[in-house]
Amino acid sequence: MRGAKSAKWVAGAAIIALAATACGGNDDNADKGKDGGSGKAGGTFRLGITEPVAIDPYNAQESEGILVTDNLFSGLYEPTADGQVVPVLAESKQVSDDGKTWTFKIKAGTKFSNGEVVDAESFIRGWNRVAQKKAASDVAYHMAGIAGFADVQSGKADKMSGLSAPDENTLEVKLSEPDFEFDTKTTHTVFSPVPKVAGDAKNAAYNTAPIGNGPFKMEGKWEHNKKITLVRNDDYGLTKTKLDKVEISILNSQNGTTLEYQGFQSGQFDWARMPTPQLAPAKAKYEPLGEWIAEDTNGMNYLLPITDNGPLKSAKAREAVSYAIDRDAIIKGVFQNMMTKSATILPPVFKDVYTKDLCTSCVKQDKVKAKTLAKEAGLKPGTTIDIGYNTGAGHEEWVQAVAQQLEDVLGVKVKATGKPFAELLADQQKPKATGAYRFAWGADYPTPDNFLFPLLSTASINKDASGKVTGDNRGRYSNKKFDELLAKARGSKDAAARNEIYKEAEKVAMDDVALIPLWNRTQLRLVNTKKFADVKMDFHENPNLAELSLK
Amino acid sequence: MGRYVVRRLGQLVVVVLGATLVLFACLFVFPGDPVGQIAGSDKARDPAVIEQLHKQYGLDKPLVVQYGTYVGKLATGDLGQDYTQGRPVTEILAPKLANTAKLAVVAIVFDVFIGIAAGVIAAMRRYSVWDMTVTFTTTLAIGVPSIVLGMIMQWVFVIQLGWFPLISDGTVRSLILPAFTLAIIDAALVAQIARSTMLEVMGADYVKTAVAKGLPRVTVLFRHIMRNSVIPVVTYVGISFGTLLGGAMITETIFNWDGIGLALVNAIQQNNNPIIVGVVTISVAVFVVLNLIVDLLYAALDPRIRLA
Repeated sequence: MRGAKSAKWVAGAAIIALAATACGGNDDNADKGKDGGSGKAGGTFRLGITEPVAIDPYNAQESEGILVTDNLFSGLYEPTADGQVVPVLAESKQVSDDGKTWTFKIKAGTKFSNGEVVDAESFIRGWNRVAQKKAASDVAYHMAGIAGFADVQSGKADKMSGLSAPDENTLEVKLSEPDFEFDTKTTHTVFSPVPKVAGDAKNAAYNTAPIGNGPFKMEGKWEHNKKITLVRNDDYGLTKTKLDKVEISILNSQNGTTLEYQGFQSGQFDWARMPTPQLAPAKAKYEPLGEWIAEDTNGMNYLLPITDNGPLKSAKAREAVSYAIDRDAIIKGVFQNMMTKSATILPPVFKDVYTKDLCTSCVKQDKVKAKTLAKEAGLKPGTTIDIGYNTGAGHEEWVQAVAQQLEDVLGVKVKATGKPFAELLADQQKPKATGAYRFAWGADYPTPDNFLFPLLSTASINKDASGKVTGDNRGRYSNKKFDELLAKARGSKDAAARNEIYKEAEKVAMDDVALIPLWNRTQLRLVNTKKFADVKMDFHENPNLAELSLK
Repeated sequence: MGRYVVRRLGQLVVVVLGATLVLFACLFVFPGDPVGQIAGSDKARDPAVIEQLHKQYGLDKPLVVQYGTYVGKLATGDLGQDYTQGRPVTEILAPKLANTAKLAVVAIVFDVFIGIAAGVIAAMRRYSVWDMTVTFTTTLAIGVPSIVLGMIMQWVFVIQLGWFPLISDGTVRSLILPAFTLAIIDAALVAQIARSTMLEVMGADYVKTAVAKGLPRVTVLFRHIMRNSVIPVVTYVGISFGTLLGGAMITETIFNWDGIGLALVNAIQQNNNPIIVGVVTISVAVFVVLNLIVDLLYAALDPRIRLA
């Protein structure tokens, strides 16, 4: 659905205007096939994913689960691949001057695939379903700003007091704190509407065969570890998709990418990722055929320094480390030029705030500056710097390279330790963590806040009684000015002014080298362009199923 | 005989309890909270969610209580709930167990047919090109790790020739490559065992007598030689059925075969302890039962063996 929306809104406003009034009929370009996109209707698109955690909006969280949920449900707004926010079911939005009350008009006349009407109540139902304590949803926190959320999460109430429906197609949301970007947050699938049959969040019957209001619907139910099949929702109230069917094979996580690649080679998949060692031969073979996609997405890779303890406590020490790393050499040697160097905390797809080369120490390795800074910071030769990373995910090579460079340039001793992922996360959370960790972050929705707040605000350190860090700010970066700027941004109604504040906040954090940017996550895919047209990667690094077409 | 079976089944309970206790203790003292993070994501779980999940899975109780609860449920055939989707472990593992059993049965068939055929041919044509070929290939097969063999087979027969589907579609066709990969090492061993016992039996007096009587070659082969050579082979095959699980972890991963071997590999990666304990509990039970069957079969085939 996210794809469908972006295509539609880019393609033409006329279609949307028609869609708004229709519950089926004149917006139907799927069957005609030739207007709009370049391709025809029909076809089955086949791909492999790993077993999702959930395909129901209440707990869909990784790109695999979101791939399914996003195509089964349509919400108020959608993110486009290039970080914009476009309306889907929202006809209009209004925010009060204090930033605490949002009023959305919802398109009338659209339906769930079981025929039930999608109205303001179906949004309220969906949101309350997620927020309830029993749901134990990993994504419910995206709703934390809604008044009454805490009471529902703690089990004191069933419904969030902040949600109401003054009339059938009006959704009013009261927030506990000002948030002028609440509309952007609703692009997350967790804000999907659900029909009455959804029941509560633990309704297994619904969660394995969700009934939604998106461009696709389930064919049969989720066959765990085996497959999920989606078919075109012919009653979709907006621009109908062209594909007939999507066959999603569920592959095991151990060698999923290998199987995807082999599946593509043997003609069983139309879309595939590749194992890192196969990237170069795959590119050589498939790029000339036009079957190779490379896109910089919103994912960013960093070295996460522990800022409250250990050798990287001082900003100068962290800057020295950053200067000592030769990113170009690693990108060339380890990634065979298939990653892009990054010199910012925020991803380049956030065009409105992106400041090229903000991190001066990232642009080029500078051994002299690195040594000088290290000396000033008291980072002595012989000091041990721990670097933790998770094994089995292709990080070994570049971590070793970084370790070597730090040892060569700074004369320090680097102890790089690989651990299973669960252990690595537990390590980062320990009160006594020191050194640095491999770290990556991708956006849930296209706003700088979704990087800056969780990763770097003091509130996101969230230490528990034992001193364990339970928030996402594992580097324990804390700067009052930064926190104030974020609060100011959240309270700014004007988007342009807000973006300026985000830029300022990013600069504050970058001057402190709160994170050490390494490279942008460039996503590489193989795509069957012999058979399909208009295939692109969406905001969540998935294929834009709802808008691609047969050739 | 009846008492023997009852006693052996009694041992089964003790072995299963022992195995789960050891495993339980190991898994639950591993570093890292099993529900503390989402595997594969850098994002932390909300403390409120963690607390709720701890409660749901009984992880807020002391280890002894957890084990007691586990054993209590185990007695009713309940293996608990898994951590990633909160589904009953039995519901998750039942279809996987069936899949692995399918794979194992076909693998055993390959074992027996390929192994015995190769062994017989080699023994009958001792020191011929046939014999040397069998000896060479079986030695090679035992030496090549199944992960290498599996990947070669996948490359040749799936990607280059396109004879088999890459992703299992539930058909017999998709069963052949993984079953063959799983079988090949055992088949090679069966061939070597069959060859040596055949040679031994062929030198026995009663075979010489049979030949001297002028019995047809085929009759001598099937009635006298094969029948008496088959006992060690049956024993070996029976036991190897249990050990197939180890091979299944690798084979199922390569071929994306949705069996318990693969479930175990994934569960270990995700700290999904209920699945790990569940798979091990089931495997231990299967292993013990199979050993019992082999012992009973052994006694049936060889009247000199008595069970007591």
